[in-house]
Amino acid sequence: MPQYQTWEEFSRVAEKLYLADPMKARVVLKYRHSDGSLCIKVTDDLVCLVYRTDQAQDVKKIEKFHSQLMRLMVAKESHSVAMETD
Amino acid sequence: MVLLESEQFLTELTRLFQKCRLSGSVFITLKKYDGRTKPIPRKGSVEGFEPSDNKCLLRATDGKKKISTVVSSKEVNKFQMAYSNLLRDNMDGLKKRDKKSKSKKSKAAQ
Repeated sequence: MPQYQTWEEFSRVAEKLYLADPMKARVVLKYRHSDGSLCIKVTDDLVCLVYRTDQAQDVKKIEKFHSQLMRLMVAKESHSVAMETD
Repeated sequence: MVLLESEQFLTELTRLFQKCRLSGSVFITLKKYDGRTKPIPRKGSVEGFEPSDNKCLLRATDGKKKISTVVSSKEVNKFQMAYSNLLRDNMDGLKKRDKKSKSKKSKAAQ
């Protein structure tokens, strides 16, 4: 269960893992106010990637990443109207 | 597991965060969802099930209470704005980086 020390690396590998099989992968966020810690995990039940932090500057990055993945999941893959004009 | 509408989910999620401020964790799970409501049978054919591609499932819990919602592409814009604000507002207990202020203080002392 690899724990990543840098956000850059984690987000790169995590996005790759999701794109490899969107239906299998899931994202888990754990926030503890009492400890002041935030942990994000991306897994497809075979590989598990984890990034932990206690820094406020990471909250924005993690929240943006979370939203980015949400958008990927909701985006329709079937051909859009624009392409049908060909 | 309580399935809620997006707006109600946001309200309940805020409440979860507030409840866990002194102790406890808030877990949020996000997964792509294809709209199935029945489990896949081991044998036999799936009955006329059309997987939809544009939904995701959001779950949240504090270890005791569980809530969930389904977000589709139609709602994602509005939902995402509110959701991002919610996360940023509530996850405010983390350490702020103050290396700069420390170095300023040491310079001033010298």
